[in-house]
Amino acid sequence: MLTDITVSFAPHISKKHSTRSVMLDVIIGLAPAMIAAVIFFRLYAITLVATCVISCMATEGICNLIRKKPNTLDDLSAVITGIILAFSIPPAFPLWAAIVGSVFSIAIGKMVFGGLGANIFNPAMVGRAFLTASFGMMMATWTVPGTIDPNMPQIAASENAVDVRTQASPLAYSKNAQKAQYGARELNESVGDIFLGNVGGCLGETSALALLIGGIYLLIRKTISFHIPVAVLLSTFIFSGIAYLINSDYYASPLYHLSSGGLFIGAFFIATDPVTAPLTRRGMWLFGFGVGTITMLVRIFGSFPEGMMYSILLMNAVTPLIDRMFKRVPAGGLPSAR
Amino acid sequence: MDNNSQSSIGLYKNTFLAGLWNENPVFRLMLGMCPTLAVTGAVKPAFTMGCCVIFVLICSNIVVSLMRNLLKPHLRIMMFTLTIATFVTIADLILKAFLPDMSDALGPYVPLIIVNCIIICRAEACASKNGMFISIIDAIGMGLGFTLTLCVLASIRELLATGAIFEVQILSLKESGGWFVPLAAFSMPIGAFVTLGLMLGLINLVSKKRS
Amino acid sequence: MQDKIKYFLKQSWLLIAASFFFGLLIAVTNASLKERIDYNLNVYKYNKAAKVVLPEADNFEEVAESVSVKTNSGKELTTSVKKAVDSDGNALGWAFICEGKGFADKVQLLVIVDNDFERMIGYGVLYSIETVKYGDEIRFPEFMNQFKGAPAGGFQLSKTGDKTIIDSEIVAITGATITSQAVVDMFNAFIPQVKEQMQEKGLI
Repeated sequence: MLTDITVSFAPHISKKHSTRSVMLDVIIGLAPAMIAAVIFFRLYAITLVATCVISCMATEGICNLIRKKPNTLDDLSAVITGIILAFSIPPAFPLWAAIVGSVFSIAIGKMVFGGLGANIFNPAMVGRAFLTASFGMMMATWTVPGTIDPNMPQIAASENAVDVRTQASPLAYSKNAQKAQYGARELNESVGDIFLGNVGGCLGETSALALLIGGIYLLIRKTISFHIPVAVLLSTFIFSGIAYLINSDYYASPLYHLSSGGLFIGAFFIATDPVTAPLTRRGMWLFGFGVGTITMLVRIFGSFPEGMMYSILLMNAVTPLIDRMFKRVPAGGLPSAR
Repeated sequence: MDNNSQSSIGLYKNTFLAGLWNENPVFRLMLGMCPTLAVTGAVKPAFTMGCCVIFVLICSNIVVSLMRNLLKPHLRIMMFTLTIATFVTIADLILKAFLPDMSDALGPYVPLIIVNCIIICRAEACASKNGMFISIIDAIGMGLGFTLTLCVLASIRELLATGAIFEVQILSLKESGGWFVPLAAFSMPIGAFVTLGLMLGLINLVSKKRS
Repeated sequence: MQDKIKYFLKQSWLLIAASFFFGLLIAVTNASLKERIDYNLNVYKYNKAAKVVLPEADNFEEVAESVSVKTNSGKELTTSVKKAVDSDGNALGWAFICEGKGFADKVQLLVIVDNDFERMIGYGVLYSIETVKYGDEIRFPEFMNQFKGAPAGGFQLSKTGDKTIIDSEIVAITGATITSQAVVDMFNAFIPQVKEQMQEKGLI
């Protein structure tokens, strides 16, 4: 049973961290974003997160029953998958579709590989990719936050999102500015709102501030190491900075790109998933740099406004290669070098 | 004499059934993955592809088994490919002439039957070693196994992607007042890989239970 | 030398004989089916697409062969313009084939415009293997109907808007901007150039 996670090649130093305590830390780290989501999207946040978490846990439980494996629900990883999936879909997303995404996340993204520790891709991102491929329209319908639109319905009971006021997400605006080759300067004025999260966007991704607080908590607790988040943010900053310097009419400022979309949740909570990220320090730098670079490539050259999900999934796929590339040299050198 | 004919019937039966289950080209031999993944988006093209493969398989098995004693070992693969390419070209022309819409939908995948491993595998493993009659039975068994597999995968994918099977609406769509919202992902490559993977797992599970 | 030739023939006579035989087989099949295949390629698909766009049309008379059009990518393409007539012989409009690069492969559309080249009557899809549910939506009314009766040429693509308003603003298919853009570009390139050459020939 995978109660202890192995995070590196030998030699190992044992710590008191168990999977459960690590996951608990991540949940605490996600709490500020949850609070922000409730402030901006009211009950939508609660119903969506609850739906995703419950269906993720149920799927994991059922899969374990079918495979006749011991119950793994108490390691809390299914809860995190549920929360992250809920955070990365639009607030007024139909609940049945959220259940479909959760089931796909856990069943196809995790359990078919053999459960926690054996999955190649981040389960929540697998589910989100499936939802994007299946329900492209619904995945791009952003609700106006309740802090801006006082008429926002209080409960997300309605089957479809027709009665909710919607708007484009900040990244859709910046994509339009790129396409129109005009208007990026005006966008930069809204960076403050975007940083706070007072804009349309995915449920838990809008507030960069709340995610930053959670991320710093994880860093202080040493649940995650700083390499991946710093590499992601730095490479995004550099690439958007280059684009901004080339033409500030077409491209939004680096700060705009940093605080919008799934960058912070991706950098702190998704890319740092110990199962699907590289194990060595140099590997982490490369991984983070890859995630940030691909995200910016999609944002600037791609047809989608946001590329965080694809970049994380792509880098997940090359993680085994990165690990092999930066294999730590054991004491005494490699056998061939001796 | 009687005993002999009985055992040959048993041989024919086993040869035929092998293609359907024990040596199913897709699920057990993992051959012909390209059409399996590419044309199973809907049942109609999958079925047409299956029929083309049956036609090519039977023809090439007949020809190969007829000339099996004349084959030079180092030139045999060339002969197989030549034979297969001929019949695939004929199948392609027939499709273009009589089913133009289907020919469009299958696009390059019909000419690609030439490099479909099932056919060359059967030529090598069966037709070049056995008589014509048993080669034909083998071709029919393998071809049917392939067609059935494709149709099973395609019906799952078509049902989930459009709510229909063989273009007959089975689940009532939400946009026309029903309840089913199509999962478009299943008409894409991801749907092909996921469906095939899960089916393979299921088949392995069943055969493990049986043995 | 002779030994070598003998050896060569001994080894390969079957291959050579089979090549001839199979070549013959394909040639016979091709010869017997060629007429049908050509018909399918040129007439069947054309009529099928045209019937959807303009059901009243009874016949398509070829009026101008090899009209050359320069596409946005600088490629030189030729198309032939046909006159659509109804059963009484009245001219209904002009039909010609457009071609452009879509997301997956080329996209080939049959365009029918009215007699004066002022408004579009509509378009039909001759060849497209775009992704189902995305680019493939160009086959379906929601996108297609935006062109019915719209001013011919000078289309603009926008991401959002009202699809029911018939004007030169075309609302793109969600998630299939490349295909939508390809269709719009195709029309913008073909319609004015064909019109110009038709005027030069004095046909309109």
